[in-house]
Amino acid sequence: MKHDELDFFLRETEAVRAEIRAAVDSVDWEALPAKIAARAPAGSPETGRAPWTAKIRDGLAPLRMRPVLAGLLGGLVIGAAAASFVLRAPVRRPGAGGRYYASGEFLDRAELEMARRSAVDYLEKSQHMLLDVFESAGGDAGVPASLRVERARDLLQKKKYLNAQLERLQMAKAKALCDQIEALFLELSQLDDGLAADELGKIRGYAEERQLLLKINLVKKELQSGV
Amino acid sequence: MSERQARSESEAAETAALLDRIQRGDREAFMTIIRRYQQKVFVMAYSILRDREDALDAVQETFLRLYQKASLYRPGRPFQGWLLQIAKNVSIDSYRKRRRTKLGHETSRPIEEIPVAVEDRAGDSAASDLRSAFSRSVETLAERQRMVFVMRHYSELPFNEISETMRISIGTAKSLHFKAVQNLRKRLAPVLGMQP
Repeated sequence: MKHDELDFFLRETEAVRAEIRAAVDSVDWEALPAKIAARAPAGSPETGRAPWTAKIRDGLAPLRMRPVLAGLLGGLVIGAAAASFVLRAPVRRPGAGGRYYASGEFLDRAELEMARRSAVDYLEKSQHMLLDVFESAGGDAGVPASLRVERARDLLQKKKYLNAQLERLQMAKAKALCDQIEALFLELSQLDDGLAADELGKIRGYAEERQLLLKINLVKKELQSGV
Repeated sequence: MSERQARSESEAAETAALLDRIQRGDREAFMTIIRRYQQKVFVMAYSILRDREDALDAVQETFLRLYQKASLYRPGRPFQGWLLQIAKNVSIDSYRKRRRTKLGHETSRPIEEIPVAVEDRAGDSAASDLRSAFSRSVETLAERQRMVFVMRHYSELPFNEISETMRISIGTAKSLHFKAVQNLRKRLAPVLGMQP
């Protein structure tokens, strides 16, 4: 800044300052505070209109001043949120009328597993039945004829329930074997107590010819291994 | 701790106590605060408004706002800076209203009735023209530049108090002051060039 400019600036700003000092001297400073205080609204200024930030702060004041209450309220909120999450989770849970809800895939797998176990159980019992027939046909003292007939009828009854499962789940090999065994049990269930040895021999021949015991073992292993 | 710092902290504690009493409606505490700061507020208002009555109105309005907003003051912040910030805002509002009114009034008057110079008390036309040119140049500065210039040269505030009042950094205050002086030089150059 040039000397003339600086001089001008200093002179002008000093003139304004002198003007301000003159104005300051002209005011009655003793009387002014009372005059301003008289214009202030009566009562505590806190009762006046608060800005919106102050309103929010005042609304949260109880929480700030009472940490126990704030903690309790926070716990209630978290607990409610956790309960809501658990009750709304899509897992198996008891519903109305005690029914269980599960996915379709889970139900299909469960049904297949039950069919396998039923088929294995049926084949094991059939195996025992055939072994008893083989022993009796060989001249050994087997189970009483009446018991054998009763077991045969029981197995025929089970086969009726097993048919539907085997067909629906396309267990074709197990179904074919069970059908062949069923034919034998049908013969056995119709025989009298005084079953002749040669008739037992024919049934044994039928079973051996078709290798029923071997087939039963193979199919059982397949079913147990889940193939 | 230095004596100056200790005195400053003592004043801050005393001011905080007064503000606490004001919040409870204590008029005596309110008047104590007014007595302590009224002249500083007046100087700030007059620097901006350049009119005694307008400045006095601004002083009253500033302290009434303080009375209503005493609860918003945050302890630890310089109280004078906070109060002068209120005074600055009140004065700027008043300045804008007065300017609009003045413009409207002058445009409705015949051109021969509008004074050529804003002030003409000395009777010396050359000096009066220069003073008028200087005042008008200050008024035409950008608002933040004008505020820093006025606070620095008319209110005689140091830069740290200017930064507190305007809520800007000291560096920004100095930068605005430099720009204000540069702009004044440009605007006054033709007038100064006519000086003998």
